[in-house]
Amino acid sequence: MGCAKDIVEHCGVPRFVFSDFPLGNAAGKPHDVESQRQTLKLALQVLDTASAPRTTLTSPQQWSPDTQWKADFYRIAKLSDEELAQRRAEFDKIKAVGKEVRDQAEG
Amino acid sequence: MSQTQNSAPVNYMQRMRDYYLALGYNNPYQWAHNADVPFQALTKPVRASRIGLVTTAAPLKPGAGDQGPGAPYNAAAKFYKVYAGDATRDDFLGISHVSYDRDYTTADDIGSYFPLKALRSAKADGHVGELSPRFCGLPTNRSQATTLNQDCADLLAMLQEDEVDLAILVAN
Repeated sequence: MGCAKDIVEHCGVPRFVFSDFPLGNAAGKPHDVESQRQTLKLALQVLDTASAPRTTLTSPQQWSPDTQWKADFYRIAKLSDEELAQRRAEFDKIKAVGKEVRDQAEG
Repeated sequence: MSQTQNSAPVNYMQRMRDYYLALGYNNPYQWAHNADVPFQALTKPVRASRIGLVTTAAPLKPGAGDQGPGAPYNAAAKFYKVYAGDATRDDFLGISHVSYDRDYTTADDIGSYFPLKALRSAKADGHVGELSPRFCGLPTNRSQATTLNQDCADLLAMLQEDEVDLAILVAN
């Protein structure tokens, strides 16, 4: 189950339920039990029905009538040089923390 | 108020490549690509199968900062070993350690990224045979070699130990 169609299909998986939702909602809409039930139902369905690898089932659900979220994800067009530099600094920090945690985990 | 309408899925790989290039990194991430994808036909229907849930969400890590709804990207909450969780409980699992869409969602409902409750309902309704008493956590490791050679091997061993017929991976 996932929301990044291109990444999952590029990787290649036996069966895939694609929800065209913002990343973080692969199991359905937040606070929407029916959406989550329907999304899982598709996962169970594709398990039962797929006959070959790379079978993708696309959820018919829509996140919102407004799809501005698609344009906004990792949008760089409106970022100034200063903002880009700030984001770079933030990401360098994140990477350093991640490396520290990984090094500790690997002992 | 005007609305934007676009039915095409987001091209995340291109978007992320462009983003990190704009930030000044000149080594774009190479996403995993498998020319051959394994496939195992079901030997029995889902309604008679034992199912294991696999997640990339992380258990709460004490002392690692904000990991809850709306938390900023938190690399300190990352984990680097496959883990097992108790699927009979409803413990916290977060996704603060991954790049979800923080502008449009807040991860304040675990059911949107970890379908354990939906699976329990499906079991109660007879749509699945049974649920494994454990779920599995899979690290979101940048190294594809580590993912394939270590994490996937550990995950497979855990699922086999749990004697599941089917596994559902929910990626975040």
